[in-house]
Amino acid sequence: MVQILVYGAVISAIYAMLAVGFTLIFGVARILNLAHGSFYALGAYLVYTFTANANLPLWAACLIAVPLVGAFGVAVERILVRPLRRSMLAVLLITLAVALMVEQVLLLIFGSEARNVPSLVDATYHFAGVDISAQRLLALGGGVTILAGLWLFMQHTRLGSAILAVAQDAEAAQYMGIPSDRIYSLVMGLSAAIAAAAGILVAPFQTVIPSMGLLPLVKAFAIVVVGGLGSIPGSIVGALLLGYSETIVAFEVSIEWSQIVSVAAVFATLVIRPSGFFGKRASF
Amino acid sequence: MTALLEVDRLNKRFGGLHAVKDVSFALEPGSITGVLGPNGAGKTTLFNLLTGFLSPDTGAVHFDGHPLTGLKPHRIVNRGLARTFQLARPFLGMTVLENVEVACLAPSVRHAGHPRARAQRWLGEVGLGDKSGWPVDVLPYGDLRRLEIARALATRPKLLLLDEPFAGLGSREVEPLAALIRALHHSEGLTILIIEHKLREFMQLVEQVIAMDFGEIIAIDTPAAIVRHARVVEAYMGKAELTLRHNEPTGAGDGIA
Amino acid sequence: MRMFVLSPSKMSMFSVDWLAGLLALLVLAVAPWLFASGYVIGVMTVALCFGIWAASWDFMSGLTGRENFGHSLFIGAGAYTAGFLNVNFAVNPWWSLLAAPVVAAVFSLAVGFPTLRLRGPYFALAMLSGAAVMQNLTIIFSRYTGGQDGLNGLDPIVDSTLGYYYLTLVLLAAITLVLKLIAASPWGIILRAIRGDEASCQAAGINVTFYKIASLTISAACAGLGGALYAHYQLQVGPDLFAVVLSINIIIMVYVGGIGTIYGPVGGAILLNVLTESLRVFSEYRLWMYTLLLVFILFFMPQGLIAPLWWRLRRRLSP
Repeated sequence: MVQILVYGAVISAIYAMLAVGFTLIFGVARILNLAHGSFYALGAYLVYTFTANANLPLWAACLIAVPLVGAFGVAVERILVRPLRRSMLAVLLITLAVALMVEQVLLLIFGSEARNVPSLVDATYHFAGVDISAQRLLALGGGVTILAGLWLFMQHTRLGSAILAVAQDAEAAQYMGIPSDRIYSLVMGLSAAIAAAAGILVAPFQTVIPSMGLLPLVKAFAIVVVGGLGSIPGSIVGALLLGYSETIVAFEVSIEWSQIVSVAAVFATLVIRPSGFFGKRASF
Repeated sequence: MTALLEVDRLNKRFGGLHAVKDVSFALEPGSITGVLGPNGAGKTTLFNLLTGFLSPDTGAVHFDGHPLTGLKPHRIVNRGLARTFQLARPFLGMTVLENVEVACLAPSVRHAGHPRARAQRWLGEVGLGDKSGWPVDVLPYGDLRRLEIARALATRPKLLLLDEPFAGLGSREVEPLAALIRALHHSEGLTILIIEHKLREFMQLVEQVIAMDFGEIIAIDTPAAIVRHARVVEAYMGKAELTLRHNEPTGAGDGIA
Repeated sequence: MRMFVLSPSKMSMFSVDWLAGLLALLVLAVAPWLFASGYVIGVMTVALCFGIWAASWDFMSGLTGRENFGHSLFIGAGAYTAGFLNVNFAVNPWWSLLAAPVVAAVFSLAVGFPTLRLRGPYFALAMLSGAAVMQNLTIIFSRYTGGQDGLNGLDPIVDSTLGYYYLTLVLLAAITLVLKLIAASPWGIILRAIRGDEASCQAAGINVTFYKIASLTISAACAGLGGALYAHYQLQVGPDLFAVVLSINIIIMVYVGGIGTIYGPVGGAILLNVLTESLRVFSEYRLWMYTLLLVFILFFMPQGLIAPLWWRLRRRLSP
């Protein structure tokens, strides 16, 4: 029981980080970013490279990797996404192309064997009869901190307000002097950085392979649909719902049944309430 | 003569907003009636209720003796009740001819002869005959309005609902369109119900006006009487007098060439 | 993507289209004799199956604009039907060609009705998740479906490689012809109008629901038929036939071929299949090139490669 509680929380926190970044970029720039999983994977792989090959201390590796992936996100938006913005499908396909490319590059450089990323903390805690690694707790704590930080940023800074303005009405925001184009790039960079952070936090206890971003991307997608595309609180609620449903099903029924939870949730949400729990009722 | 359209205490709420409130009226066959009212009076909602795009909370609509409530829009069209939209919505990516051809494929008119030829004929009736091969995307707005009318006519309706047909038109385009509507009224024997704002052309076109405000009907009368009606004037312009008094309409039938 | 889709009013060039189609068919018919290698014929047979899938996708999604990201649902449904009948009940494989389209059509009704009001990315996503659900269910109920390993030991419909190729070619030609005829008929006009504006379609007296469901069902039945053909060729079925990547590949082939033309996607499917096979030499870089091609087409050729090439050629041929 405690195990479910904690594991569920960790999974939810990680999913939430990915979902929030995903929904942010959709809510603001109307981009369905299929490369989101790549940012996640790149975070993990960069830290691996810096620690294993460049022999940097772990904390330094993390601090460099995150903004690096953020910059990559910005580059993707400016160079590849912006020219195709008129068509959602084209953007979808181009981000898919990026995702495929990144996976191929990682495969070429690192091969398909799982890589070992050292933990930031090595201790294991004993809590109510269950062993929980400190790294998992750190992932949970880190996730919550980052999300809280994001919320504070959005609510209490001018830049945050600018982002929200663009999300509501990009044209109107432009009349107010807010450069929508630059905001899009910024948001892409931000969501990429958050995804990278998520990848770094889980790397010590998840399998680090080139395709590691695929499944989390699917989950993030599912959460965002259930919670409402473009709604950050929706993503958090959705992440909790999905994270816990999956953990419970995995523990009580079987791993296979837990995999179906997210896709079934997507289908059900779209059929019943396409805008999701918290989403605005747009035309579908 | 039984009325072609009988509307009986129609009601529609959207959350707290009572958009259409106890609306009742009847239309005689062959009549041309207008619906007048400020923005938000419930005119387009009324149209949506009549044409099946919205379903009423309470009330009934009878067309040609048969009830319409609960029917889907396309079935209502096939019964003989056609409409145009306030914002022209053409089928983009197709030619002007094809836009009308779609309507010629409606089940009620499908077998009335070659669809393409009929579509061409309707385009001719509205003055777009020579533009039939054009992609609809390049059509100027005034022509799009005519296209909407052609498309509605192609379903051979008995009653035609026009939602602000003059909206967005320049002053030079309004008169020809009004003349077209009048001509079609005579030649096709249509019953017509028009929502409009532009008072002058509108008043000269219709025989009878239904004035609405806040979802209710406040008056039904001839154009000349309506503009003197206290509540109508109030709804439109506060308590000031309508300047229309100086351009007294001389009654429908006095055509503009 | 707003595109000016080829309209039937350009019928003056229709006879040239027919001639070209016949010529393409002829080329495909003699191709095996030119290459005379079992391997090439095999690759071509698979390519033709993809052609069926691409054409069927284009018929619904290309015409109505409702992009279906879960086409693999119908492919898998058809393939597994073939598998069940043949492996579990020892039914003659020819019956699969009848049963698979029917089962796929039933699946299309099951997903078509709930998703009627959805548009654009929402519809795409719903169909995608539908296929993913099916893929997971196939793995979960492994007792009946063979799980990850799937069903093995299907009988081929026709024993010879060459014979199978011709069977697939005939069916592909028939399907492409039928779908193209429907697209050129009043049905096609209505489907394209649905893409234009659904409310206006209703106002024109058209039963939009009927046409949306019907086009999806026709698309599904053809895809299911292709699935059965594929299954009896590979002699096995697995949950990969429900995979998202299959749906996406087909969409890419359609884009390369020219969306909305029906025949373009067939060309795109054949081209890309042949290309990926010939690039097999570069095994790791193959996916790179594929993705680069996709990027290139998205940026520079939104109308595709094959259909626009044909239009240009046709203009040169006609006076």
